[in-house]
Formats: sequence, structure tokens, C-alpha cells
Amino acid sequence: MKPAPFTYHAPTDLDEAVELLSELGDDVKVLAGGQSLVPMLALRLTAFDHLVDVGRIDELRGIRADGDALWIGAMTTQASVERSSIAAGAVPLLSRATPLIGHFQIRNRGTVGGSVAHADPAAEYPAVAVTLDADLETISVRGRRTIPARDFFLGTWTTQLADDELLVGIRFPVWAGRTGFAVEEMAQRHGDFALAGATVAIALEGQTITRCSIGLFGLGSTPLRAPVDGLVGARPADVAGKEIGDAAVAALDGVPSDIHASGEYRTRVGAVMVARAWASAVEEAGRG
Amino acid sequence: MLPVAARYAGSRVQRVEDPRLLTGQGTFVDDVVRPGMLHACFVRSPLARARILSIDVSRALELDGVAAVFVAGDLNPDVREPWFSTTGKDVPDTPRPPLAEGEVRFVGDPVAVVIARNRYVAEDAADLVDVEFEPLPAFASYTDANGANERIHDGYAANVAGQMGGGNGDKVRAACETAAHVVSETIYQQAYAAVPMETRGLVVEWAGGELTMWAATQASHEVRAVASRLLGLAENRIRVVARDTGGGFGQKTLPLREEMCLMLLARRVPAAVKWIEDRRENLIGAGSARHEHGTATMAFDADARILAVAIDHVQDVGAYPTPWPVGVAAATGLLFPGPYRVPLADWSTTTVFSNTVGRTAYRGPWQYETVAREMMLDIAARRIGIDPVELRRRNMLGADDMPYANPNWMTYDHMAPIQVFDKAIELIDYESFRHDQEVARSEGRYLGIGTSSYVEPTTAAMNHYGSEGATIRIEPSGAVNVYLAGGSTGNSLETAAVQLAADALGADIADVNTIQGDTALTPFGAGTGGSRSGSMIAGAVAVTAQILRERIIAIAAHRLEAAPEDIELADSRASVRGTPAKSLTLEEIARIAYLDLGSLPPDTPAGLEASGRYRAEAPVIWANATHVCTCQVEAETGRVTILRYVVSEDCGPMINPNIVEGQIAGGTVQGIGGALFEHLAYDADGNPVSSTFVDYLMPTMAEVPLIEYGHIETPGPGAGGYKGVGEGGAIGAPPAVINAVADALSPLGVTITRLPLNPAAVVALITEARG
Repeated sequence: MKPAPFTYHAPTDLDEAVELLSELGDDVKVLAGGQSLVPMLALRLTAFDHLVDVGRIDELRGIRADGDALWIGAMTTQASVERSSIAAGAVPLLSRATPLIGHFQIRNRGTVGGSVAHADPAAEYPAVAVTLDADLETISVRGRRTIPARDFFLGTWTTQLADDELLVGIRFPVWAGRTGFAVEEMAQRHGDFALAGATVAIALEGQTITRCSIGLFGLGSTPLRAPVDGLVGARPADVAGKEIGDAAVAALDGVPSDIHASGEYRTRVGAVMVARAWASAVEEAGRG
Repeated sequence: MLPVAARYAGSRVQRVEDPRLLTGQGTFVDDVVRPGMLHACFVRSPLARARILSIDVSRALELDGVAAVFVAGDLNPDVREPWFSTTGKDVPDTPRPPLAEGEVRFVGDPVAVVIARNRYVAEDAADLVDVEFEPLPAFASYTDANGANERIHDGYAANVAGQMGGGNGDKVRAACETAAHVVSETIYQQAYAAVPMETRGLVVEWAGGELTMWAATQASHEVRAVASRLLGLAENRIRVVARDTGGGFGQKTLPLREEMCLMLLARRVPAAVKWIEDRRENLIGAGSARHEHGTATMAFDADARILAVAIDHVQDVGAYPTPWPVGVAAATGLLFPGPYRVPLADWSTTTVFSNTVGRTAYRGPWQYETVAREMMLDIAARRIGIDPVELRRRNMLGADDMPYANPNWMTYDHMAPIQVFDKAIELIDYESFRHDQEVARSEGRYLGIGTSSYVEPTTAAMNHYGSEGATIRIEPSGAVNVYLAGGSTGNSLETAAVQLAADALGADIADVNTIQGDTALTPFGAGTGGSRSGSMIAGAVAVTAQILRERIIAIAAHRLEAAPEDIELADSRASVRGTPAKSLTLEEIARIAYLDLGSLPPDTPAGLEASGRYRAEAPVIWANATHVCTCQVEAETGRVTILRYVVSEDCGPMINPNIVEGQIAGGTVQGIGGALFEHLAYDADGNPVSSTFVDYLMPTMAEVPLIEYGHIETPGPGAGGYKGVGEGGAIGAPPAVINAVADALSPLGVTITRLPLNPAAVVALITEARG
């Protein structure tokens, strides 16, 4: 369980990093917190000639308000997010999803950008990004670009990021008004990847839903948005969580099946998770 | 005032191992570094079954830093005698070639071994060994292999390694015909494994015609014996050192094939070689356990008293089981009646090969008897319409029944099963749980309670397990060293030895140290296994300390001008009873024994060193326990949350309650893992699909409740009355958890006959019951 040989690079600024990524071609991988990549290298499930560790680039770290959004640097650790009162106030869904990621030892090393760029379909942060329509800011020698989270994820462990492209930061929109956010997941043990998970974000005006978004994870090859037809304009009291849950999973196909659970189980429990998250988000928004 | 005699045994003495282990100063095999040491990596089969057409090692040898590559033709012919002490020389054992010869028989089967300057290079080179395989049809499932024409091993028709049975089938069938209630189900248990925190590992060094090995083992002397037989090298030319071992649970009882390879190649490599198994190798290559099923039948009279029981058992032993698996399976059949009054029993067992990793010993290797029996009793209770606790009370043996010959001629003694059971039921407060359960059910919540009771043959005295030696040296300064074969893998044998020796010598525990695990220093001993260490170490220390005690008293009596019978030993001091001012410290006595020989009484030998060997007083020492688990089951998701867990046990007097409870807790957590989480699974092609901790799920502290203990202390027939407690937790836990889940879901009409109960399995059971 030792990785194949690789050359280790540790650039200290963004320019140097993107130059390296450009020069080293397609046999290079960005190393963030290493919580997924390093075990995969050690198991020789994957191998790269070059690793570019971006952990020494200060520009990739930070949590700050940015207009109507919260900006989080790609190399900000999950533990930093967990402790951040700014994040908790501006993007509660992100804060609430954080303790579900692995264990605290993992969150001390694991990063926001690493989790998003790794694109595990059962991971929490990609689902939060998709649910909230976050924008992913990237850089390469060809310049900077912004990719909407909903377009970013292509499949299990695959994204829009080019081989020479680096995730710089993520802008999470801050929802104003009377809002509620919830994440629910079913994992076999605390800290495991979810067998099925759901995120709900909701905003109310009076007794009416003005905005809502439902995310699903562990239920496909990417995090998904469930249809929310007919919910905006409705009153939460008039819609049943169970029906929302059932509707959210109704059109799913390609739900993963493995030794832990069948696709059928995941789908069924996914609906339960949506219903629970819905109830808790509605309850919170109603209090606001 | 007289010094109060110290009594360390029985008290919660802090572990002497902990200061070094908790500060990172333990010495595990991977901490051993030798000059010029090389590293080994095995090339393993990617296929479940295939013919080896060719192996080309040339590209691997060209890699910088590679010292050697060995294949079967290099090592296997060197094997002289490949037998284990547990099985003996004369039993026709199942095949166990060091490296795969001609054919690979499971994914992970070692085909070649690369020796290189470090493990990184060794792994790089392993990737460069070209093995040409011709795939053959594989038996991923032992039930498919059972009876098939295609053979996994030549010489084993129908892929059966052995069959045994009790021969009472007709009588049991006759009893069933007239019984008021007959219950029969097939109970299946999945494969899971020991998964020690420290994986296997060995450092071998051949120098000057002597072989030195640093091992992660439960039994250094058995490692030495195996090397001696394998290589045809006298035992006095072999030294095995095991300082700290991070868990074994049976997996490290015997050297497996990789360790044999290291022993064989040591003489061909001009430096020490280290092999540290990595986690993936451990999960695919260190062995499987528990994989079996059986059809259990129980007949009851109208009062729900047991008339007869039978078990037809089939076990999977993979391709290369260790040790010989057929004998262990017999224990499963013989123990099936458990702690109950059973007038008639039958059993049969069939041991079947498959193209999966070999079965290895795991904490209570016959544990399936308890799983099947206790699950069946709950199923029977529901069918008969009687409370499962009441059903057990009507049938369970008590202290007054002892000795009791079970219908398979196992003679139980020194036990009080019903008293242990009642204590567990009292601790859990059964009646009030039933009330809470009723309230919860009215609110749509599913609470359940399950019990599991077993009898356990500990400290079996067969073969080399029948004796244990100790050497005790009181040094010239009065410091005491106790030398024991040991074999601690975390089970506190050092603490136990120090407590027992301090008591036996009347020494202050601070003056006592112990050295274990090094065959060059310690007397022959069988190591940790079969829940034997407590009783056997107590015996070895007692017989040896008695020799020194007499000598200490003789010296003190002589110097203090008192009668030997008036000398008391306590706190490292010999005093004259009634005249405490007249005393000598152990240091003063030791000084006389070694440095002031003129002061010795006539006829008393110089020095304070003795060796003794204890021989077990009974063929087996019976222990028993009852586990009770309560849980909540979430019907929507299948999530099982354990609420409370009680273990009431009788391991006799306790040397150290902390150690006893630690042993129970560890085993119980492994059993909870087996009930709910752990699954060493293979796909239909024989590929292991739980080869990392992403998929092989062990319970963590978040999934396990605080375990509550009840202790009943019925002395056993051995030193100090101590009995074994190492394995029981892992035996009793799975059915207690399963029965709790089954009880929770009983309003839905669910019958559980398969493990493990992961959330998806629970939901499937509920869905099936709802139709």
C-alpha cells in the first residue's frame, strides 16, 4: 500500500501553480487535503507522475463575505468551515453539512475545494454547491473562469475541470429573508459516505414559499437537483413532506447499487431523507 | 503492627503495559529495524481460480533496488515438515503451499515474493512480475462448491475437507414426530474476520547459522516450532521475539503462508527481511471466519421444555484454511445444546472449500452454535407464544445441575448458567423494558430486546496447551522478573503476571516486572489462544513462586531466628508473626542469596531463581455468560441503534476486573460488528469487494453503547479458580443483537435467519413481511 513513484511539487503562488499544471500536461494531479487522493495513490488505484500540492498558496485560503455571496477559498479546511461563525450565519447549509464529512481528523486535513473537485457523488459539499447554485472559480494559464455548480459535475469523480485547471474558490449565494436549510443523510456509521442524502433550502414570505431547492446525493453519478414544480407559491402547510420526498426521487435512474445497499433501497431512503430535510427546513423558515 | 498481606489479584490494578503503549513507546514488529534490512512484497493472484502458465520475473529483477524475486519453485521444495502443534503431525491436514504452485485458488493467493530495499520499490517491482494465467471456473460460493464435480484441491472429492456427525438423526426425528412444537430454520452467517489493528508482520534474519525472527504473534514458541519443522532447523538455533502485538483474535495464532515464505527465504537473502502486511492484504489474504449456515431443529413438549435439538452445519473454509478446520467444526456441533437441559441431540458438520481466502481462527471459532441456537430459541418462543426469557428459564441449567453431561457427552461443571442469566435480566430491568416497548409501539416506534446465553470451553488442555512454564528471578537487588511465554496481543498478560507474582511472593507490585514473548528467554508455552492465558499463567506463576517462597522463608527464618512457619511475606518483606520489628526486606534476603552466601542456612541453595511448569488440572474449564441487548429500529431506513448492552458472565474469580471487562467489551464489539456491519464479501466471480475500510465496516465508538457488566464468580478447576474470558464476548454478542432486532420487528411478522443486518437488509425484511 505504497504509491507508485511521483514527483512532488509545492508551489507557493497561483501563477507558479498554473504554470506547473500547464507544463506537466495530463500526467499531473492537484493535491489538496489528500483525504481521498492519497489513499487512492497508496492503493495504486491511480498513479500520476507529478503531484502539485497547492497547500502553500495563501490566495486559496479564506472565508469572507463577497457581495450577496460567501467566498470560500478552495484550500480552506472543512474544520475551518465548521468553526466559522461567518459561514454559519451566511450559508447555514454548508455549516450543517460539514460535521457529516468523515471524522474530525479527516476534516482537519480535508478541504472545501478538494471535496468539490474530487466529485464523489455521495459527498456532502458537492450537493450543497449544487443545491445553492454556487459558482466555482477556476484558473489556468488560459485565464480565469466561473463554472456554475450545476454544470460542474459530469460523473463519478469527473468534472468540468481541465487537467491544467485549478479550483480557486467557491461563491455560495447567501439567501435573504425567512429561510430554512437542512441536510439529512443515511450512512451506515457516523462519518461514512451517505447511502442516500438530501439537502433542502427554502425561503418564505408570509406563509408562501418564494424560493426552494432540493439536492440529492448518493443517488446518481453526480449530486442532483430534484424537481420542485409547484412548490414556489405554495404554502408549506398545504404540501406533505412525504409527497415531496416521493416526487424528488420519482424520476431517478442509475441509482447506485453495491454490497451496502441496492438502488431500490437508496431511492426509497432518499425520499425519506428529502421528507425529513423538508420538514426541518420548513420549521426553521417558519420560525424566522 | 503486622504488614497487611498484599492482595493484588482481584483488584483493578492499572495496566503495566499502558505507560509505554499510550506514549508511543511500544515495540511492534514494524518498529524493528536491522542493519541493511530489506523489504518483502507479495505478488498476488488477481483471479479467483486460474492455472499459472508462466511467471517472468526478469523485468522486476532489472528494477534498481530489487534484491530477489522468489516463486513457488524456489521456496516450496525447501519445506520439510509443515505441521502445527494444535493439529499434530499425524492428522492429514489440508493443503498449505507457501507460494501458489501451478494453480491459484483465490484472489490474493501469493504467487511470488519480491525482496527490495524498501517497500515502495518492492511494490513497484511486484507490478513488474509478469504472470500468465489461464482462468478456470471458480467457486466463489461454498454452497456451489459443496458436492460439485470440479475440484478445488486434488484429493478432496465434492470439495469437502471433512465431515463429522453425532449419528442420532433417527432418534431426533422420532422425538419430533410426537413433540408438541417443532421449529426448524436455516440460519446463515456471513463471512467476517478478526481485522486486528496491527496487521500481520515478520522480520527474519539468518546469520551465523541461526534464524532470528521478530513477529506479530500470539504464540512465539509456536512460530519457532513451525520454523523449526519447516526448515529442518533445530529449535535451539531459532529465536522468536514478540514484544508488542496489536491484536490477534486468533488470526495470529499460527504462521500463515506468507510467514512461511519469509522463514523459507531468510536463508537465501544476505540481510534481514521485513514483511509488513498492508490493510488490503489483511482484508483479502489474512483469512476469513464465521462463514457458514446450518439447519437447526428444536422440539419442545407442551410446556415448552426442550425434547431434542439438531444442527446440520456447513462451513466455508476457503481455499487454504488454517488450522485444520474439520476439528473446530465438530465443536460447533457438540456445543449446540448450550446451557440448556437437552435430553437428546444430533449434529452433523460438513467442511467445504471455496475459491476465497482461507478460514483462520477467530475468537470463539465454533461461535455459530450460539448464533444458531439463540436465534432459534427466539424464533421458537414467538411460534409457541411464550416469552423468550421464560422459555430460557424453563430450560436453562443451574449451579445445582452441575456436573451435567450434555447429550453430546460434553460434561459441564463449575457453572451457574441460570444465575448468570437472572443477573443479566435483573440488570437490564426486563419488565420495565417491556413496558417501555409497549409505550413505544403505541407511538409507532420499534424497540426490541434480545438475549443470548452460552457455555464456553476455556483453557482446553489438549496437546501443547496442557502446560505452561514460568521462570522467576529475584535479582540480587530484590527486583523480581517473571519470565513467561506470554503472547499478549493487548490482553494484559503482563499486568496479570505481575499481579499474580506479587501476591505469590509477597512482593510489592512495584518490585515486579515481567518479560514475555522472547523464546530465547522464556519457557516453552502455547501463547494466547483458547481463552487459556489467565488460568495457565496463574498456575505457572504459582508453582514457580512456591519454590522461591520456601527459599525466602528459609533464609528469613534462619537470619531472624524464627520458625519458618512464623515467617510472613508481604510488601517485599519477611517478618516474624507477632514481632514485626524482626524483619528482613526482600532486598536483604536477595543480597544474602547471591552476595553473602555464608549467611545462608545450611542446605539452602544460593540464588533466588526458579523454574516451574504447571499442568492443567482439568481437560477444559467451563465459563458461561448471558448477553442482553436493547435496540431501536427505524423502520423507514432500517437503522438499528443499540440502546443498552449488558453482559453477565462467570469467568470465576477475576484476576483483574478491568482486564475481564476489557476482554468482554472487545469481543462484544466484534460481535456487534458481525451482527450489523462487518462483511468480508465476494462478488459472483470471486472478487473481494470489501478490501478496504471504505467497504469493510467495523463498529466505531459512535455505534457502540457503554457495556454494562455483571459478574458471577464460580471457581473453576484450576489455579486460583480462574477461568477463561477471552473469546466469550465475540460468541455471545451477534445473536443478542439479532434477537433484539427481531423482537423490535416482531409486530410486523419478521423472521430473521440471515446475518448481517445492515440497514438495507432490515428494510428488505420489513418489506417482505408486509408482502
